[in-house]
Amino acid sequence: MTRTQRLLAVIAAGALAAGTAALVGNGGTIVDLVLLSAALVATELFELRPIDRAPLSLSFAVVMVLVRAATPMQFVIIVVFGYLVAAGLRESPKRLGQRSLLYLERVAEAAVALGAYRLILESEDRHTTRLVLGALAGAAVAQIVASDVFTAIRERRVASWRARGADLALATSGILMAVGYEGIHGQGRFGLWGPLLFSIPLVAAWYSFELVASTRRGFRQTIGALGAAAELGGLVRSGHSERVADLASEMGIDLGMSTSELHDLETAALLHHFGALCLDDPVDGETFDPVEVAALSATMLRTSDALAPAGDIVAAEHSWHRPPGDDPSAGAGLAGQVLKVASAFDELTDGRDEHADWAVEALYTGPGYVYDGRVLAALERVLAAREVRATPL
Amino acid sequence: MANDRGRGPLLTALCVCLALAAAIGVVVLSATGPTPNLTALAVLGLLCVFAANTSVVLPNESALSASFMLAIASIVVFRDEAQLLGPLAIGMAAGIYLPHVTEREWRKLLFNIGSLGLSAVAAAAVYSIVPSNVVESVGGQLAAAIPAALTYSLVNFVCLVCALSLAEDRRVRDVADELWLGDLQIYPFALIGVLLGRLYVDLGAWVVPLFVAPVLIARQAFASYLALRSAQRGILETLIHALEAKDHYTAGHAERVARYARLIGVELGFKTRRLERLHQAALMHDVGKLVVPNHLLKKPGKLTPEEFDHVRRHEPVSLELIRRIDFLLPIAPTIEAEFADAADGEHAAPIEGRIIAVCDAYDAMTSTRAYRRALPQEVAFAELRDKAGGQFDAECVETLIRVLEDLGEQHGAGHEADVTEFDVPPPSAGIGSAGLGDLESDDREVPTP
Repeated sequence: MTRTQRLLAVIAAGALAAGTAALVGNGGTIVDLVLLSAALVATELFELRPIDRAPLSLSFAVVMVLVRAATPMQFVIIVVFGYLVAAGLRESPKRLGQRSLLYLERVAEAAVALGAYRLILESEDRHTTRLVLGALAGAAVAQIVASDVFTAIRERRVASWRARGADLALATSGILMAVGYEGIHGQGRFGLWGPLLFSIPLVAAWYSFELVASTRRGFRQTIGALGAAAELGGLVRSGHSERVADLASEMGIDLGMSTSELHDLETAALLHHFGALCLDDPVDGETFDPVEVAALSATMLRTSDALAPAGDIVAAEHSWHRPPGDDPSAGAGLAGQVLKVASAFDELTDGRDEHADWAVEALYTGPGYVYDGRVLAALERVLAAREVRATPL
Repeated sequence: MANDRGRGPLLTALCVCLALAAAIGVVVLSATGPTPNLTALAVLGLLCVFAANTSVVLPNESALSASFMLAIASIVVFRDEAQLLGPLAIGMAAGIYLPHVTEREWRKLLFNIGSLGLSAVAAAAVYSIVPSNVVESVGGQLAAAIPAALTYSLVNFVCLVCALSLAEDRRVRDVADELWLGDLQIYPFALIGVLLGRLYVDLGAWVVPLFVAPVLIARQAFASYLALRSAQRGILETLIHALEAKDHYTAGHAERVARYARLIGVELGFKTRRLERLHQAALMHDVGKLVVPNHLLKKPGKLTPEEFDHVRRHEPVSLELIRRIDFLLPIAPTIEAEFADAADGEHAAPIEGRIIAVCDAYDAMTSTRAYRRALPQEVAFAELRDKAGGQFDAECVETLIRVLEDLGEQHGAGHEADVTEFDVPPPSAGIGSAGLGDLESDDREVPTP
């Protein structure tokens, strides 16, 4: 389907939904309802996609406007129709079952929003400004919580508080769009100008998140490919960098590292053998000196400001003797220890789970100053969570 | 700022005058007119300072929008009581950029306070002329905001042009041409400013946090995009360092290819993001060389057939690496075709790959390699034209040649930017390919530089 066809379909759907809705009540004007229905369909095709959170549909903000602009009957008709058309227009998920499920989720989320709004609004007779705002906030929260519940059932994870920026942007924009449309007691009533203009910051947020997502994907793929270069060149065992990056990230999360520290750790893990590509080939029968490889990798990463923290981690991985005064419990020191343990573990097991017990034993019996006890404990917890090893005592 | 000393006093005088004019305005208006609502002044003023100090500098270095929007909002908020003083104070608050204070850049501080204050008060004056019955309705208010917003940016533009022409010692006209209509994207913010101001008047100060939250989130996301983008540039730099460490004869090669590719892309009308992807792809086009042993890359002269076979083993690796990266996908088919020697003139591959192939070949010919010296530019052009339509895309070849001739750039023998010191001087013959050394005998006579 071309873009024009898609657009026409959105408009037609909006007209149809609103036309039907207008027959059953006298909430908003027919033109407004047509445009809002079309907006519901159109925004459902776009999602706010923050990095460490499941995507949020932009249509949530339009639902907030509809909650206030339409009568409950109109609302139900527009939501049921509008989301149905959107479900037909979307490109993913491909499978009919998943698509239908998503449709039902959306309708349920909208219903919850309407329920919360009505419940709060009708709890008192006088609709003060505070009550209206509270009802709208309740609708926004209810909608997001409902979508969280569905995500938790589907993916068995719930976003952390730190990753809730997009939720906040969506909720506040939705409230403002709804207030801007209808006003409160006739005050601050802008009609469609309200939702249109107050959606601009939300659209800006959406665009910024898109830029972040595509740049991050490109960055991750680039370092993944460079990490794999050493493997494809036969200098490192196949899959080593990716496995070490996964394991190190999980250990970092276990040790409570921040998002940016984890990001640097992942970069360091993927590229810790990168230097091997630039060394002259070892004389027959010999292998690369790991310290030299790490030093060169670190030097190369440190040439760029943005990657210097990752370079520090790679350098810390092979600082066999801690310099006096260096605190290995934080920053690059700790991350370096994590990388060192993850890399050693992967070299011992060669990616095979059945060697895990033996590898952990080997890591523990190594000299004390080489591996950090807390980091080894984190490794054990991660392995237990992966059900590779029994829970540590 | 070559002539900073000569024009410096004038610039200082301009900055002081602007700030002084704004300050006098505050004194006169507060002595003669009503005082503005202090809550509104505090809320909007603090927000303005906050916006000015948390702004993320956009790629085009504009960071005006938030304070501009708040200035317009203040014009609406204060229309009924202190219609000039309120906006003037808010505008001045937007000029308080704390790093200017801590780094003692007094001139910049005074300039911003003065020019933003005067821009806001001029806009407010225009808005106050509009009859009251027009600004009753939202439509009327939005319409009335347009001349006000234009006035704001006009005053701001005039101040900026004067200051820049003094600071950089350039003609006023040149600076004006450069800045003229540079900030069209800010006008939607004027309309949002009107609505924000009206909501504030109608419903109270609580609308402010509701409005600020998404703006801040958008900014924060944009900041993390900028950080990621510099990380992405960093990784490409690292890659280039690695390739140059392996083969110092190719110093600067990736950057030059990326630059030529960008020139062609601009000429073919590519948009910003596509240009950026093309640039990155061009920087990475040699990624597969990472797995070629150093001694083969650095070998002077021709490779033996066994060595050449060994080198060719990097080709599938290159493809494998390139296919892992989405933004390199457009160049994968071209590289595949190059490896398969399937230069049959059928161009199903995206144009990005063909652009890079032409630029790669051009730079390879016009720079010195381990196996031969740089060729003169005319020879390189002739070779590209000769293979145009076959190995190379004719449009890309002609575009590159045209752009380089328009720019008057000379590359090749006698014009090399990075002249490499060699252990074994390379021979001065052979057209060679863009690749890793040539096995084929050269049947073409090449003039020795």
